[in-house]
Amino acid sequence: MRNKLILVAAILFNGILAFAQEVDFEEYDLNNGLHVILHQDNTAPIISISVLYHVGSKDEDPERTGFAHFFEHLLFEGTENIEKGEWDQIVSSNGGSGNATTDEDRTYYYEVFPSNNLQLGLWLESERMLHPVINQKGVDTQNEVVKEEKRLRVDNSPYGKFIENIKKNLFKNHPYKETVIGKMDHLDAATLEEFIAFQKKFYVPINAVLVVAGDFKKENARKLISDYFSTIPKGQKISRNFPKEQPILEQINAKAFDPNIQIPATMIAYRTPGLKNRDSQVLDMISTYLSDGPSSKLYKKIVDEQKQALQVGAFPATQEDYGMYIVFALPVGETSLEELNTEMEEEIEKLRVDLISENDYQKLQNKFENQFVNSNSSVEGIANSLAEYYMLYGDTSLINKEIEVYRSITREEIKEVAKKYLNPNQRLVLEYLPEQNTAN
Amino acid sequence: MKTTYILLLFSLFCFFTVQAQVDRTIMPTPGPAPEINLGEPETFNLNNGLKVLVVENHKLPRVSIQLSIDNPPILEGDKAGVASLTGSLLGKGSKNIAKDEFNEEIDFLGARLSFNSQGAYAQSLSKYFPRMMELMADAAIYPNFTQEEFDKEKDILLAGLKAEEKVVSAISGRVQRALAYGKNHPYGEFATEKTVNNVTLADVEEFYRDYFVPANAYLIVIGDVTLDEVKTLTDTFFTSWTKAVPPSFSYSEPKNVPNTQINLVDMPNAVQSEITVQNLVNLKMKDDDFIAALLANQILGGGSDSRLNLNLREDKGYTYGAYTSLGNDKYAPSRFTASAEVRNMVTDSSIVEILKELEHINTQPVTEKELKTTKALYAGSFIMALENPQTIARYALNVEKEDLPKDFYKSFLEKLENVSKADVELAAKKYFNVNNARVVVVGKGSEILSSLENIDFHGKKLPVLSYSKTADRIETPDYKASAPEGITVKTVIEKYIKSIGGKAKLEAAKSYAMTAAAEMQGMKLELEMKKTTNNQFMQDVKMMGNSMSKQVLNGDGGYMVAQGQRKDFSEEEVMKIKEESALFPELNYATLEGISLEGMEMVGDKNAYKLKVNDNKLAFYDIETGLKLQEVNTTEMQGQQMTSTSNFENYQEVDGILFPFKLIQTVGPQNFEFIVSEIKINDGVSDVDFE
Repeated sequence: MRNKLILVAAILFNGILAFAQEVDFEEYDLNNGLHVILHQDNTAPIISISVLYHVGSKDEDPERTGFAHFFEHLLFEGTENIEKGEWDQIVSSNGGSGNATTDEDRTYYYEVFPSNNLQLGLWLESERMLHPVINQKGVDTQNEVVKEEKRLRVDNSPYGKFIENIKKNLFKNHPYKETVIGKMDHLDAATLEEFIAFQKKFYVPINAVLVVAGDFKKENARKLISDYFSTIPKGQKISRNFPKEQPILEQINAKAFDPNIQIPATMIAYRTPGLKNRDSQVLDMISTYLSDGPSSKLYKKIVDEQKQALQVGAFPATQEDYGMYIVFALPVGETSLEELNTEMEEEIEKLRVDLISENDYQKLQNKFENQFVNSNSSVEGIANSLAEYYMLYGDTSLINKEIEVYRSITREEIKEVAKKYLNPNQRLVLEYLPEQNTAN
Repeated sequence: MKTTYILLLFSLFCFFTVQAQVDRTIMPTPGPAPEINLGEPETFNLNNGLKVLVVENHKLPRVSIQLSIDNPPILEGDKAGVASLTGSLLGKGSKNIAKDEFNEEIDFLGARLSFNSQGAYAQSLSKYFPRMMELMADAAIYPNFTQEEFDKEKDILLAGLKAEEKVVSAISGRVQRALAYGKNHPYGEFATEKTVNNVTLADVEEFYRDYFVPANAYLIVIGDVTLDEVKTLTDTFFTSWTKAVPPSFSYSEPKNVPNTQINLVDMPNAVQSEITVQNLVNLKMKDDDFIAALLANQILGGGSDSRLNLNLREDKGYTYGAYTSLGNDKYAPSRFTASAEVRNMVTDSSIVEILKELEHINTQPVTEKELKTTKALYAGSFIMALENPQTIARYALNVEKEDLPKDFYKSFLEKLENVSKADVELAAKKYFNVNNARVVVVGKGSEILSSLENIDFHGKKLPVLSYSKTADRIETPDYKASAPEGITVKTVIEKYIKSIGGKAKLEAAKSYAMTAAAEMQGMKLELEMKKTTNNQFMQDVKMMGNSMSKQVLNGDGGYMVAQGQRKDFSEEEVMKIKEESALFPELNYATLEGISLEGMEMVGDKNAYKLKVNDNKLAFYDIETGLKLQEVNTTEMQGQQMTSTSNFENYQEVDGILFPFKLIQTVGPQNFEFIVSEIKINDGVSDVDFE
């Protein structure tokens, strides 16, 4: 009885909510094509300065994979005005922190400072964009560091190779078939000239968005941004024309071996549309329905009640051109991977055949609402979202509107999307097995 | 004339371009420290004493509700643990809503709600705020304490205490506090198995009635709400909370020791020593030198760039990290601590270096550069923490609880900037007390004692006083004891063999079958083991009926199955398991080379002879009874040394031979206590078992 009352209240409140959550921003272009987004929020004296470059592993020469990620390291090596090794020290001795991330589609660099360091942050990022120092010494140092990173995160890490194996099997033509960290022999073979050329092509104003978020005065920020960034050469417009994938019509079976694991895993993956497609958001909802929280379908059934799996999960990998939808499970005791596949397919089949219950639908809406609200809770998080909505989705205002997309998704649509993408003949079934050391 | 004009124009032009462009060769300097735009809380009180703070923040449609009861320290005495149990039992539904229904509703709302013995915290979307207020109030005012939940939570607490017994950091923490304050002080007492067993459901109810009361309670609501809404909801839901004032205690004032001394707690399983140099301080947030004291602490040991860490980690490589902390408390003295976990071998040197750094900051001033960068770092982290609404709640609450000026946090950065070198030096002298410190060392006594006794501090040896794991003063054990004349490997082994039944009985045993069980986090772990004298061995560990790992050896070959994966043994592994699979390995020791008697050591409260069987195995035999008390096995896994310890207790007779019926196996922090249910000799084993 109580629950019903709440449902009514929730529906009544929905209208007001969209209004309450507005993330205020303005955007403009500098003459050199650099897109600028300002999000002013003076509630805390913090400022985030970030640059997203529209370059990821898919932009690499197939013979030179790992470049975009390699630059994530190289571009901390110093600039014409910042000595090698000084970057981090400048950031921390001014009370700030910073980092960078790379994926298939973009690279993101950021600093967070107390708000009296706006100018310092802009200087740092403009230095990085205008004249980073790329020399053989830096390349050699970072080559070693990246190799250590690969050892740590991929070679030495349990289940570290699963994404690589899924990509390799789901993609035959598109560069998504490669990994972000890339092949080490490609990096070894790369010349300094190739690195410099990559920088000149992609790390330019026309291919970047600068986001300043937090506590600042707009006029002052606009002036400083112009001072530091407007003289940076524009760069050439980049055209992208990646090879297309053929639809998957027959189940793909594959195996992978990992020396770092004892418990095997089964992974079922589907190729899904790119992130601009509304279906991609519907698949988000399906993941939450299947595996988020102890009351989700897969978890409750396979882990909690039937105790067949140690762990089960479903997640969408959203990417610009195509997505991946991955469901996985780790067996308990003697449960076979096939049994797990059958159990998982049973739940996915229900999605294709039946509508999810009203109650589950409302719970999903609540969860997404909560997620949405909390995703906009830090200035740095907002800056990152603004940059991605602009650069990858082509619509900055999604920061406020995306929740409306989720709200508009119906139970019928969930069923339709499951029917469209999540069929057994469209999937990859990957057996991810412990590698046996035969010499032993 | 013309040229000058041009020159003039030119220089003007230059001037303008320089003006318009920034000089990017110069690193920008920070602007003036920002003022903090802290939300000003609105406050009002209910008649029952509950103070309500409301911080309106409409940036996001979410709300956090924090209930915090600021009672003076509570002495739990011989029922220590009652507070923690009360906290665990709160929030499990209420008299009005059953537990499952309660949890499910919170889940459905996508919200969170948790309780402790002196408060609660909830977070939700603002549209569910009214309901969350209702649920929190309902669970807080009408708790449903049941015997069933009480028993469950008590078991969990006892299991936690038991697990702690082998954890060096946990023992160190409780001994530090007990020694600093005394065990009869609320900050010095701790829960033990005994005190927890003294607690009944009625005690929890009483604790709740006495202390979960509104007299010193704050309700802090932050987020997308209005003051009026909060007023209405608190009136509706919290008015029925009965007005009451908690009982108060008096306890003696703790004191620092007259001279710096080492307080040693022996933990034979320790591979590192945990060192804590501590002294009591009287520091309150409202003290004038509070910020100077924070800075002094930061410079000495507040972060990875501070003096202590640079010395012990970066320079000497003694530790992964060495840090200091300086507490503050309005009710009682708090503690200053400087601590590090170090290798056994460098325990004494680390103590010397820590004491040196304490002296150094007392005698040699901090530098301008240290002060400047520390201020910047402190300011940065202070400012950036403000973004989290929890921080804002804490600050608003501190202003109330600690009786701080209203602008304490608003002007914090300004005050920080105004702290001088002299202020920091004074604070260091006042709070870092190198001459009246306790150096609490928890570690392996047999390896570190003699070096601790030789530490030279100001030309004198530091006294070393020994304490038990429950902070009672004990005699310092004599670790160096060598075995008395006439005791050899042979006599120890012979005494053992004789004590468990004699050579003839042992040699007559051709097969052995054992079943045992252990509990792990509420799950049952079953162990089945079979052996014969024909190099046959089988061990199967099952969890809830499923085989987790199985090892089988049959003559010269064998295999293991772990998590459903089968793997055959290598020749080397076969050799190893053959050794382990002997019914009574000691029968073979007489013929084996390389076993040595390493002296005597304590195993628990028993004195034992220590035999080094090989590089990877130690065995301990009771000097009184001759029985085997313990084995310590070291293996190398992926370059890391792993030590597993097996203790043997509760020997019982089966067919004339004594077997331990309680096996305690410890690997790292994991501790399994196997209770043997059955042992069969020359019965219940056939060749089929080893297929």
